Amino acid sequence: MKSDVLNQLQKTTIFKNVSDDVLAEVAVKASTRKLAKDEILMRKGEKGDSLFLIHDGWVKIVTVDSKGDELIINKCGPGEMIGEMALLDGIPRSATVIALSDAEVLELKQDVFEEILKQRADVSLAIIRSYSERLRFSTTYIEKAIDWSQKTAEGDYSFAEQAQPLINSAGSDDDKAAQLLSAFFAMVRKVKEREDGLKQQLEKLTFEIDQARRKQEFEEITGTEFYANLKEQARALRQKRAQG
Amino acid sequence: MNKGKIVSIHSFRGGTGKSNTTANLAAQVAMAGKRVGVVDTDIQSPGIHVLFGLDENKMGKTMNDFLHGKATIREIGFSIGDHSSGGEGRAKLAGKNLWLFPSSIRGREISQILKEGIDFNLLNEGLQKTITEFDLDYLFIDTHPGLNEETLLSIATSDILIIILRPDNQDLQGTSVTVDIARSLDVPNLLLMVNKALPKYDFAELKKEIEDKFNAPVTGILPLSFDLADNASNDLFSLRFPDHDWSKALRGVAEAVLAVE
Ligand SMILES: Nc1ncnc2c1ncn2[C@@H]1O[C@H](COP(=O)(O)OP(=O)(O)OP(=O)(O)O)[C@@H](O)[C@H]1O
Ligand SMILES: [Mg+2]
Repeated sequence: MKSDVLNQLQKTTIFKNVSDDVLAEVAVKASTRKLAKDEILMRKGEKGDSLFLIHDGWVKIVTVDSKGDELIINKCGPGEMIGEMALLDGIPRSATVIALSDAEVLELKQDVFEEILKQRADVSLAIIRSYSERLRFSTTYIEKAIDWSQKTAEGDYSFAEQAQPLINSAGSDDDKAAQLLSAFFAMVRKVKEREDGLKQQLEKLTFEIDQARRKQEFEEITGTEFYANLKEQARALRQKRAQG
Repeated sequence: MNKGKIVSIHSFRGGTGKSNTTANLAAQVAMAGKRVGVVDTDIQSPGIHVLFGLDENKMGKTMNDFLHGKATIREIGFSIGDHSSGGEGRAKLAGKNLWLFPSSIRGREISQILKEGIDFNLLNEGLQKTITEFDLDYLFIDTHPGLNEETLLSIATSDILIIILRPDNQDLQGTSVTVDIARSLDVPNLLLMVNKALPKYDFAELKKEIEDKFNAPVTGILPLSFDLADNASNDLFSLRFPDHDWSKALRGVAEAVLAVE
């Protein structure tokens, strides 16, 4: 069992630069938890005192949107780590995690985690490295996303056809970035489609002029003595202006 | 002889945007460096003077006094270039050559003038004198809706007549009569302008359809806009929001006016 655990640890992003003997030590201190489908692993707002490495199965990370509906932020599977943020910053859980299928996770308690960090500078460094890698990766995407948002706002959708996903070595982050990318591009395409649709739907206005009524009203106005005088004076005026 | 042009802005129905169009056109033409006058025919209702940020109580003598020989034209012209305060858009008119000539304070006054025999020639002399005294390139007249006598007078004296219409059957029917009248009175330049067009219509088609019906150029199709309805009376919209679609279309009309030989 523990070698199985070791196996899993080796596959997680955060421990990828850590040597096997250290991981063996971590493996001993980790405990296994089985989750049934739909079981809640952690709740948003709770104080977090452990992190989890997914061994088997899938979980969804959810929050509640403004209408009270469940909003899936992400899905995580084997090899991925969840819940580590709360251990580091001490802030309550930012989302709820629910098992999508029967699953098995490795739990690492806060004291164990902190003990490892204190004793093993190489592990701390590995963790810091993997964080900064992720951060750099996110920053690049945020910058891209800002640029795309501005283009979309201006009605320039060309990037959705041209842009290539950024390639990065950060393992599962690639998938998330790819998810973000495809969600973003799908949105842009939908917006563009809708806009094109609207353009085609522009209505054509057709008018009918009642010519008999037009003639009758014209005659009513022009039939007066006032009008006859005015027309005469206007003609004289225009002649005078043309000569002037 | 004077080369200043008289530009009348008319519409068959009320509320089509004559006052807003006149004020913004005059402002745009003044911004282009021309010497511009605006006859405000309607100072009892929120018209031109409000758009220029003026209080009717401050305006003193009117065109009516001038036509009655009770004031000189110099006393009536109110310089907007010297009083361009209160509004980001209006502020841009500082130092420009733009004057407002208030007239017809009460609804009855102008008909009284007509009854008293101030005829076409006298009115025309008055307008020509305004042009000469202020050395104007353009004198804009914001008319009353419909085809009553005073409106016929200003159509008859126009070098350029801009007819504003809303794109609907009723307005097109009325506009058709106005177009016929303008032709009958030999107006040399007849320009059409559509205002309050719903953005859902195909503007290019609309332009073509109206031009075909009336055989006159549609110089601009200005969209119905809540932004304008919101702001219009507080400032000169096209100066304040130059990048707005309404403002862009309005500048197209101003260019058409400037292009008339
Ligand atoms: N394109 C537009 N979109 C929305 N509102 C507009 C538009 N043009 C004008 N308006 C609004 O319509 C109203 C009437 O405009 P305005 O006073 O310029 O018309 P008018 O033809 O001079 O009216 P009247 O016949 O009463 O003198 C105003 O409240 C104005 O803000
Ligand atoms: Mg008006």
